[in-house]
Amino acid sequence: MIGAPVAGRVLRAALVSALAWLLTACVAATVDEMVFNEPTEGIGEASIVILGRRHASDYDTEPDFVECVGDHIASRDKEIQVIGELEFINSLYPWFEPRTAPLHPQDIDRLLLQEPVAQKLIELKTEYMIWIDGSTVRTNSSGSLACGIGPGGAGCFGFGTWGDEANYEAVIWDFTDKAEVGRISTTASGQSYMPAVVIPIPIIAPVQGTACDGIGDQLLEFLSSKY
Amino acid sequence: MSGSMISVPSTPNTAGRALKLAACILALVFLSACGANQVVVEGKFPPPLMTRLPLTIGVWYPDEFSAHEFTDMAKNPRDSSWVVKTGEAQVQMWDTLWGGMFQNFEHMRAAPAPGVLNQMVDAVLIPHVDELQYAIPTQTHVKVYEIWMRYRFELVSVTGEPIAEWMMTAYGKTPTAFLQSDKKAVNLAAVMALRDAGANFVISFTRVPELSDWLDGIMPTTREIRP
Repeated sequence: MIGAPVAGRVLRAALVSALAWLLTACVAATVDEMVFNEPTEGIGEASIVILGRRHASDYDTEPDFVECVGDHIASRDKEIQVIGELEFINSLYPWFEPRTAPLHPQDIDRLLLQEPVAQKLIELKTEYMIWIDGSTVRTNSSGSLACGIGPGGAGCFGFGTWGDEANYEAVIWDFTDKAEVGRISTTASGQSYMPAVVIPIPIIAPVQGTACDGIGDQLLEFLSSKY
Repeated sequence: MSGSMISVPSTPNTAGRALKLAACILALVFLSACGANQVVVEGKFPPPLMTRLPLTIGVWYPDEFSAHEFTDMAKNPRDSSWVVKTGEAQVQMWDTLWGGMFQNFEHMRAAPAPGVLNQMVDAVLIPHVDELQYAIPTQTHVKVYEIWMRYRFELVSVTGEPIAEWMMTAYGKTPTAFLQSDKKAVNLAAVMALRDAGANFVISFTRVPELSDWLDGIMPTTREIRP
């Protein structure tokens, strides 16, 4: 008697998973990694901060992407303390704004000349600073979709498709040695589709999510003793 | 005539009122589409993390600064008009910045001038926004919202004698985000521009030649704590 509802729930979960899988379009991704001085025992009680580069004139590294990478690392290794980007740049204002942020690890020395800045960084126990530069862009879109509403109901008809491409690079700085210790880059691309016969069915390619997972996994290999 | 009106059954009268109401709503919808987009800039601004300069600085906000707004009326029906009110956010940001940058910081009772009874301070800062420009993706086809501002600062004595005058620019941008309205994005770009203004002020204040000379005169022993 107890088996039937459980089997029903399992079947429902399987159906939902299958539907989610069917509604997800394919993404092609590549990850390149180059690291030196990897911490063999992990980073211990120290913390890391992940920041987005925002110097380019035509794009900004999305704060959501930076947060996604941070969440990916923190959720897979609970021992790694990831300081939130906004919390970090607010507590060190104005030294990490696009105009003032250090561009090279050697610039950290210049920052540490400011006594309150040096104190704050000691307080935060920042061991590694990871700079992410890049963005996700729409590469193409085509098709047309028309929706209408009338006394008998509403509905859509048509077909739309679009492509996205994500391109990100993460640069790892060792705060103690004031040196660059790694560089990870990832590219991901995918085509999303939206057929509509009365109801639009979005089949989305998780391009940015795949890039986030790719960079997050490589960073975990560098930072965590468990990976 | 009036009698006939009274004798009309209530149903057509109600229908008429409903029709009038619908017409009014429709007119409002059409008119609201023609109205300007108004953004009252709101944001949180952190205090600067720095060694305070041992100065007692006063500030005088001219009315056109504390109530600063930027208006851009659409030149053709397809474009939208914009009103961006930055005054309150300007005062909030500069108060926070200068409060953390100088040992003592005060709002002056009146504009500095000979014979005016005011607080005793080392100098008075008077900010002006000389120019503000904005760009949204529909105008530039680049997927970022941008705000650019040009400031003019006057540093005068309590009696209004000029000590220094200099220009400074600030720039803020934010990427387009799914489901983010134009107004929210313009607000965020303005907040970024204000943060950039604060950062630029901190790093450039002691580098303006006239100011550097003045600082050498009143606090010659503090060269090492200047940012």
